[in-house]
Amino acid sequence: MRVALGRLGGAVFRGYSSPGIFGLLGAVAGLALLVLALSTDRFLTVDNLKAILSSASIVGIMALGLTFVTLIGSLVSLAVGATAVMGAMIFVAELKLGLVPALGIAVVSAALVTALQGAIIGGWQANPVILTIGAAFLINGATDKASGGVVHPTGGGYATLNSTPLGIPLGVFVMVALALLLQYVLRRTVFGRQVMLIGENRLAARAAGIRVTRVTLLAFAIAGAAFALGGAFLGAFNQSASSQLEGTVTFDAIAAVLVGGTLITGGRGSALRTLAGAIVIAAISDVLLLRGFETGAETLFKGALVVAVVVGNHLASGGRESNP
Amino acid sequence: MSRGWVASRFRRLGAENVVPVVSFGLVLAYYLLTPALNGHEPTDFDVYNTLQGFSSLGLVALAVGLTIIAGEFDLSVLGMQALGGVLAVKAGGTHGLLGVLAAVAACAFLGAIQGTLIARLRLQSMAVTLGGYIALLGLTNVIAGNETLTYTNTDASIWINRTVLTFFSPRSLVALAIFPLAAILFTRTRLGPELKALGGDRRSSRVVGIPVDRRLAALFAVSAGLSACAGAMLAYSNASAQLNPGVQPLVLAVSGVVLGGVSMLGGRGRIWGLFLGALAVALLEQVFAVSKLPGSTTQIVFGVLLLTVVVIDAPDLRWMLVRMRARRLSPPQSPPLAKSKR
Repeated sequence: MRVALGRLGGAVFRGYSSPGIFGLLGAVAGLALLVLALSTDRFLTVDNLKAILSSASIVGIMALGLTFVTLIGSLVSLAVGATAVMGAMIFVAELKLGLVPALGIAVVSAALVTALQGAIIGGWQANPVILTIGAAFLINGATDKASGGVVHPTGGGYATLNSTPLGIPLGVFVMVALALLLQYVLRRTVFGRQVMLIGENRLAARAAGIRVTRVTLLAFAIAGAAFALGGAFLGAFNQSASSQLEGTVTFDAIAAVLVGGTLITGGRGSALRTLAGAIVIAAISDVLLLRGFETGAETLFKGALVVAVVVGNHLASGGRESNP
Repeated sequence: MSRGWVASRFRRLGAENVVPVVSFGLVLAYYLLTPALNGHEPTDFDVYNTLQGFSSLGLVALAVGLTIIAGEFDLSVLGMQALGGVLAVKAGGTHGLLGVLAAVAACAFLGAIQGTLIARLRLQSMAVTLGGYIALLGLTNVIAGNETLTYTNTDASIWINRTVLTFFSPRSLVALAIFPLAAILFTRTRLGPELKALGGDRRSSRVVGIPVDRRLAALFAVSAGLSACAGAMLAYSNASAQLNPGVQPLVLAVSGVVLGGVSMLGGRGRIWGLFLGALAVALLEQVFAVSKLPGSTTQIVFGVLLLTVVVIDAPDLRWMLVRMRARRLSPPQSPPLAKSKR
């Protein structure tokens, strides 16, 4: 864990080509955080490390999906929370059919809804931020109307998602497995390469004959599936689903992607970076809470970290003028 | 024949002129029709309340709209609004005006820092202001001590909501006064054309000698100041400061911006368009309120509205339509080059 955290701290700020001054700065910052963490009472206990992983897991799963949206050059989706709540509601409502069908229906419907947004963004280059805000509002309104506010499960199928094999919550295993799977997809499949190229240079991708619309649609479908999967865990954890679940997950997921070091403009980054980002944020929150800071200070630190990483990453990658 | 006439007229007048007038007209017609739809008779209070809603929404819409015209996007307006409210309540215990001024000054300073970062380092404004938004919410909580602040200066609370000339209040008059001021700066000085140039083509703006970095820093300072002013007046009006306004104010503000005929691509938009757009959204909210529509219906309406506008605004859809028309009229030509942003 000690080594891993050190690496994560360095990786956060590390440039893509040469480490240079920003890599050094990042390493120093990472080291400072590490010292802070290790000198905190009760940080290095097995229970606490488990707590960090488990608090990272739900947002982490959604952030892994969101990574595809960012990598393909669509900035971020602001509909993460709304889609997750939709997934949670469908999952909880369909539990009467059994765990797997409920999960399947939730994931597929969220994937469809998000894929539709991807098709419009990829095909017509609609503004992803405004489009996903609108979609979030529409999804929120529609789920609220359909559910009447709160959905309670029929049957206890959700308990499986709350189980803790080997003493670690199932969500953690799912997060790590999903990270490895998506990393493989990004690095080793044609689809993954196409996602990276579209994010790097949309015009070049189009000129190279890549079907931009279709690939963007697929990338968004993966994102939507991940949002709903995270939402299902959220619903299972709370043993019911309502719009209250949304909380700050949208911004937490975005923070995890950005802190992981994926470029906001797309084309560079990875699923493993997002995994690291989610864990780093959870670890920092944990340290701050252990040291007696209130949630306000924790949120302040999270925001400052996002700005710092965005600035550091941008400088480390050469500081090109980005396309808004 | 007549369709062609409408289309050519629309092009000549420009979307930024037609869209605000049409959207405000439609919402006004809807409002005037509500008596027939649900028996609610229009009252003076409707106008007063619409303007009260406008005084927050309009200022935030102006803040976001200006950044969109300049080709940026300020997500931190939500955080600035929250921070502005808390600062005003903290600093305005004895003198209300002092609180508003302190809130606006502090937020404008923070906005200038954000803008300088974005301009100097040429960063993506979405990413920076997203981090800024999260940090500001945290800061708001820290300053407020993690609990909703009550504003104890009741005199100021009563004064700011006082009815003036049946329809207005000091709060809405402030918001209504800021728009003509902004419009004069936008049309009578070089600031307006310069902001549009920044949004149209960033690189060319630098080449022709616009002080891009200073303009951007000032822009984000103005955006933060306007949001803080909105937050401060809202907090006084409610006699308490909200620590987390949620994303609803942003959605309403962006709706106002798009109904105001501002292009999401940057480089196009007018202040009076933003004014009419924000007013249309405020009136629509009032209509929903008197019609006693559930919150979910309101969400669906604004969601569909944003989706529709953003799709119409999508550049590649427009090229697709242009190409389709060109193909009908003449043999295919080489594809148009995409608009270079900076």
